[in-house]
Order: sequence, then structure tokens, then C-alpha cells
Amino acid sequence: MPKVAVYWTGGCGGCDVSFLELGPKLLDVLSQVEVVFWPALVDTKRQDLEALPGKAIDLALINGTLRTQENVEMVEVLRSKSRYVVAFGACAHLGGVPGLANLKSREELLVEVFGGGFRPTPPPGGPSEHALPELLPQTLPLAGAIPVDYVVPGCPPPPALIADLFERALAGDLPPAGHVFGKDKAVCEECPRKKEDRKLDKIVRPHELQPDGERCLLDQGMICMGPVTRGGCEAACPKAAMPCTGCLGPTPKAGDPVLAMISALASLVRAGEEGEAAFSAEDKVLDSLADPLGTLAKYSLPSFPRLARSCVPTPVRRGP
Amino acid sequence: MRGNGFEPKIVAFLCRWCAGAGADLAGTSRLSYPPNAVPIRVNCSGRVEPAWVVEAFRSGADGVLIGGCHPGDCHYVVGNYKTRRRIYLLQKVLAEVGVEPERVRLEWVSATEGARFARVMREFVEELRALGPLAMNQEEKALPPQGGVHA
Repeated sequence: MPKVAVYWTGGCGGCDVSFLELGPKLLDVLSQVEVVFWPALVDTKRQDLEALPGKAIDLALINGTLRTQENVEMVEVLRSKSRYVVAFGACAHLGGVPGLANLKSREELLVEVFGGGFRPTPPPGGPSEHALPELLPQTLPLAGAIPVDYVVPGCPPPPALIADLFERALAGDLPPAGHVFGKDKAVCEECPRKKEDRKLDKIVRPHELQPDGERCLLDQGMICMGPVTRGGCEAACPKAAMPCTGCLGPTPKAGDPVLAMISALASLVRAGEEGEAAFSAEDKVLDSLADPLGTLAKYSLPSFPRLARSCVPTPVRRGP
Repeated sequence: MRGNGFEPKIVAFLCRWCAGAGADLAGTSRLSYPPNAVPIRVNCSGRVEPAWVVEAFRSGADGVLIGGCHPGDCHYVVGNYKTRRRIYLLQKVLAEVGVEPERVRLEWVSATEGARFARVMREFVEELRALGPLAMNQEEKALPPQGGVHA
């Protein structure tokens, strides 16, 4: 029976819960695998993991961003015990929402959260066994620390992609290493909304607009990341009248989603007739995009805007 | 002029119809301007993708110049308008990740404005000299290599 491990580093826990979305299929899956390590589900500790022989785990699903030294140590142990390691969810894939912390240095963050009196150094006499693990200087996606075989993207991963991974793993039909579960085409390909002649004369946030039920959300002025984002979610958010925020990461062709979206938006924005007279009005439309980097790089900052301080290459490893 | 000894590296994307021709005219007119830029001719300033600008910075540039036609003169009618909006947005994002927006400069230079091209180059080099080297590239060198990353 294949042995499976699931682990959670710096994340919200939503990825662990996402398995429940498999519904009855989850019972099928659980009856066909042996869970050897899953702290959110069964009482297993680091020592149990370390006691396993090398490559004893067939499939390790790791979710969460790497935020502390302890995160890195744990995923290194998991890597050494596992045949296949899967970056599960947007944090492990790209850095995720916690990755936006990379806009600040570790020291700035500690002061912001704990106030000026916080001392990140260990107490005199050296770190005790109860000392907090050290924060990494920057958050990293999983591939920033260990080789990764597969990616199941999403925040959290859509059930269809989780099911696809298990079905193929159980059938012994895993794709070549480096595969990202999901589609290579954009979310727009799966989206039923109607696209029209796109001209944006305003940019709105989701709470500012009750969108028309049929029309493209980008046409209506919402920043929908659908055009640059990998499909595989059946456009779940746009169908529910919320713009795509890009959680499955960019399509293979889009490259950096921030830069691709800048190009797209610049082409769409208009303030009347194009020309020198419209420049300042166009700038005002562009200014109405609140928090540009937080919106366009919501999940991808540690991996993508290759201009960010800490950016590491995106996954993934070649060969098991 | 060369007070701090720092010579900024510039990548200049110049459109073929206006700014590129203007740069040629500066040369054939034997105008003198600093040789800090690597010119790259593109068909239209509207062809310049934000990813190219970032790639130039990642490759060690301290500044990026995009030269296009004056408003109303674009050979492709609206390419320069598109690039203007694109650069405006890109500058905001660059500022958020700690790259001074002035390092990206958009200039309109016509085919007859060799003198203007030379002046733009002189100004840009002076500005970049005052800004100093791009901090991101310096930090990059100081960071230890990341282990285990398979690109």
C-alpha cells in the first residue's frame, strides 16, 4: 500500500482542509494509501518521521511557505524520506500570500508585529531547546530549499486537481517530473462570462461593484487575473462573481504574472480619445488600481517579480 | 562630471522610426554624448514589454531608456500611448520593490532630433550617476547562493 505523508509549513491550514473537498472520493483514496505522517490528522511527530528508513514514503504533499529554519529542516527530512515530493498549494508552489512579507526585511517585520522592544536574538547562554526557530531572512517557495517533483497549484488546490494527482499516483501513471497539475491554458478559457470590446475607464475593487452576471469581470473594471493565470479550477471565482486572483500561478506562456498583467491593463485603459490630452486622465485611471503589487503578485512575490530582493527560480526538479 | 567614478550601464530600447533614427542622426552629426547605453532597436516603443525592462535590470543595467515617437507621430498610430501607460504602471510596481522609478525613462525623440537624443543621454547618465548603482543588483551579489533550487 503506497505510503503518504502530508505536512504543513508556513501556511493557513486551508490546504489540509482542502482534501475534504474530494467528498466521497476521499474515502476511496484513504482506503488505498497508508498515512505515515500527517500532523494535522494523525498524531505523528518529527521523531517518527526521522525513524523511517530512507525513501519509505512514496508521496509527500507539502503545503505552506518556508518561513522558519524549522520549516526548512522538516522539508529536508521529508525529502530524504520520500520518493516523490509535491508542492501542494500556492504557498509551496510560489510563496503564496505570506510571501508578500518579502517586501520587508525580517527585522522590519519583527518590529512591525512585536514592537520596537522585540529581540530576535537568543537569550544569553545560547538558544535553549525551547527557543523559537529562527525566521528566515525571506520566505521561500518549497523549491527554494529542496528539489520538488510535482506541483498541485491553487489556494487551496481545486478538488479536481487533487483527485487527478491521487488517481495517477495510485494507477502508477505519474507524469514526468516537473509536471504542474492544472491546465496550460488560461482561466479565461474555462470562464463562461462574455468578453466584449475591452476598454477600461475605471478600475474597481470587488466590494465596489455588483457585477453584471454575464459579462467579463475585467470588462467591468475588476482586476481579474484570468488572462494570465493557469486554468484547472473551472473558473470557480469568476463564476461566483469574484475576480480571479491568480492562485494557480501563471500559465507557462505568461511568464511573470505581474508584468504580463501590467501589459494587459495598459492596453485596456482608456480615458476618452487616445492622445496627449488624455495622458493625465489615463494616469488617474491607472492610479485607481489599489495596491498594485499586492493585487498582481498576491501569491507569487517570492517567485516572480524577478526584481524582488529574494526571488528564487520557480520549481521544479527534473527526474526523481 | 565623473566625481564618484561610477559609470551607469543603460539599456536603451529605441523605436526604429523616431528615436532610433534620432540616435543615428546624433551620431552622423558627430554630436558628443556619454557612451553608457547599449541601444536595442525595436520596431515600435509599444513592443517593449515590462519583462524586458526587468530583464535589463536583472542583467546588470542601472537604467533603462525607452525612446519612442512624439504623441501623434507613432508609425503604428497608438504604440507609444500603450507603452506610456505600461511604463507608468511598471514604475509604480518597481517603486514598491525598491527600484527607483526614475531608473526607467520614457522619452519622445523624433528622427530629426539628434540634439535632443544627445541631451537626453547626458541628462539620464547624470541622473543615474546621482542615484548610484542599482541596489538590487548589489544585494544580489551579497546574498549566498540558494541551495537545492532546480531552475
